[in-house]
Amino acid sequence: MTFRQRSNWVGYAFLAPYLLSFLIFVFLPVCMSLWLSVVQLDLSNATHTKMVGFQNFQDAFKDDLFWKATSATLRYAALMVPAVLLIGTLLAFGLFGMNKGRDTVRAFIYVPGMLNVAAAGILWQWFFNTEFGLINFVAHKIGLPALPWLSDKAYAMPAVVIMSIWWTIGATAIVILTSLQQIPTSFLEAASLDGASGRQMVSRIILPILRPVLFFVFITTTIGAFQMFGQAMILTGGGPEFSTRGLVQFMFETAFNGFRFGYGAAVSWLLFGMIAVFAVIQAAFLRRQA
Amino acid sequence: MRRLESFSIHGLLAGLALIVIASGVTRSVLTGGLTVSKKVNITFWNGFTGPDGVVMLDTIKRFNEANPDVDVSMQRIPWGTYYNKLTVAGSDGGGPALFIVHADALPRMRRAGFVATIEEAFQGPGALNRADFDPYVLDRVKFNGVFNGVPLDIHPQGLYCNAEMLKQAGMVDANGNAHVPQTKEEFLHAMKATTIEVSANQPEKQWGYALTAWGSNMRCMMAQFDGRYVDQNGSPVLDCPENIKALEFVANLAKNGTVPPPSNGLGWFGYRQKKVAMVWDGVFMLGDLTRMNSFHYLGGMIPTIGNHPGTMANSHVMCLRKGLTDKEKAACVRFIQYVSNHSLEWAAAGQVPARRSLRATPEFRAMQVQNAFAKQIPYMQYPPKTPVIFEFQLILDLAVEKAVRGQAEPKKALREANKAVIDILNRDKVEHPEDQGS
Repeated sequence: MTFRQRSNWVGYAFLAPYLLSFLIFVFLPVCMSLWLSVVQLDLSNATHTKMVGFQNFQDAFKDDLFWKATSATLRYAALMVPAVLLIGTLLAFGLFGMNKGRDTVRAFIYVPGMLNVAAAGILWQWFFNTEFGLINFVAHKIGLPALPWLSDKAYAMPAVVIMSIWWTIGATAIVILTSLQQIPTSFLEAASLDGASGRQMVSRIILPILRPVLFFVFITTTIGAFQMFGQAMILTGGGPEFSTRGLVQFMFETAFNGFRFGYGAAVSWLLFGMIAVFAVIQAAFLRRQA
Repeated sequence: MRRLESFSIHGLLAGLALIVIASGVTRSVLTGGLTVSKKVNITFWNGFTGPDGVVMLDTIKRFNEANPDVDVSMQRIPWGTYYNKLTVAGSDGGGPALFIVHADALPRMRRAGFVATIEEAFQGPGALNRADFDPYVLDRVKFNGVFNGVPLDIHPQGLYCNAEMLKQAGMVDANGNAHVPQTKEEFLHAMKATTIEVSANQPEKQWGYALTAWGSNMRCMMAQFDGRYVDQNGSPVLDCPENIKALEFVANLAKNGTVPPPSNGLGWFGYRQKKVAMVWDGVFMLGDLTRMNSFHYLGGMIPTIGNHPGTMANSHVMCLRKGLTDKEKAACVRFIQYVSNHSLEWAAAGQVPARRSLRATPEFRAMQVQNAFAKQIPYMQYPPKTPVIFEFQLILDLAVEKAVRGQAEPKKALREANKAVIDILNRDKVEHPEDQGS
């Protein structure tokens, strides 16, 4: 055995545990879900499984609850993605401009992201409580009306988005900050010597350099938004009137409460298709912009 | 370098071998491979994660002491994920020997194929007396004439009142005690009398009554207005005139502003916080009140607003898994009989025993709330007996929510719900032709 071959074997041997877990816990379930999406499998009667082709997908297109869940997912993504990009960028600029205490503030911003979604959800359930919640308490103190955050269709989705922003913004801000810190200071100094204003430096130098990382944040936040589940499940349970019940919750409840695994798997592939389509459109759009 | 590579490969292989050996030993220890026990070990799953779980644990402890040849161990799982886990475990042939299922979920669990018949509990030494159970309740656990479980309790919805608020509003009996409203007139009067608007002495509005779980509130009215889920042929009739009347009553309370607005979120929490004088909720909520020392509460029947008294109810049912050995099954049956015979203690946790004889005891009659709620048993209505209960309930709850929020007229909301439920049942007939009509 040559040295190169032996090196390869060592590499494969070290990779083996991960590859094994990847095959068992990722590849196999993906294949299983593809198979499930074309069969009628009701876990409450698993012995009567039969191949139904694309029937599960057709059923989804005719299902009002599927479209309600799609609408909720799109509304969440439409609010969440721009908000995260904007607030994350502003926070990163703020941190970048700090001379003292940056590390402390960065740590504080990042801490919520370390919480489990259940813990964050329960905390915000209290914040949003109409009667004794922190937000309405503060609102009352400054003369604003108390809002039914979690029990009114108009406020429920914004409430879920606010909690999600709080929960995820730290990581986004740090990713953008890291990219900001990598901009050579000579670029900014040269621009300054040439008489560029702060606004011009941001729009002509910083943002173009940040474009790849903003694109990355855009894509990952969009994918994350389509997969929204725990936040709404804990804050609102998907209500009121299913207005915050996203596709993942619909899929989960169909498969694990209704035990219709075939239909649930088909919904998961439809969700995958949506995410893929959005990701391709975004990539094409941003590539053209570049 | 070559020695280093050789060391890496050998080290890796040795490490993997150690992991395999260690996992094997651990598994053996965990599964009891290294120990021998003469006891029959019974695993018992349920969702009693509240104070009820403490009472059940105590019952198990006493059973284990009285039956040294059996060891029952309890696993509590929150109801929210309980049925997922139970079904997955049961479908795989594993799962607990003994488990609790709500009466309305039993058809679904039974379809999954792991629920055993349990005629033995009503036969032989220590047999439970069938006549000691209400026929309506027994019917919910019978499929094709065979018992698939033993009802442990009944949990009806009932009226919870804040006794102090009723007294302050002048709702008292001849002895000066708070009078729990029983008729529609009394209830509406009590609602009005206990509602206090904001004033100099009243910084926050006090409500006479608040809706809790809207779907359950409506189902209570369904039982009173002779409403039903399906007709005699099993076809859904959610939009029948009786159900529309029931939903109209509930929706009009919100529409007229006589209860907190739907977006307010008051309900059970408002009642606990003494902002609401009366609510309808399940007897199982009692555990929440018994922990509050300063709260003088009273229980009563849901006031008769429809044609006669009525409420919605359900039961915890004790079931066995298929595939148990004779010894295991005998031990499980003995445990079920023990728990059933001792369900008066279970009642203290906020339940009504399924056994008539226990409900007739002075001890039970002294349990004010449970006893008051139990008086509704002749008039109670359980959710429909269908394997697609999850979707059925989801659709009906959505219709009720739409009506209460004023998004749709009750008639329209129920018509849409009925259409959706017909589609669901038709789909179920096509997908499960073998499981219709049992």
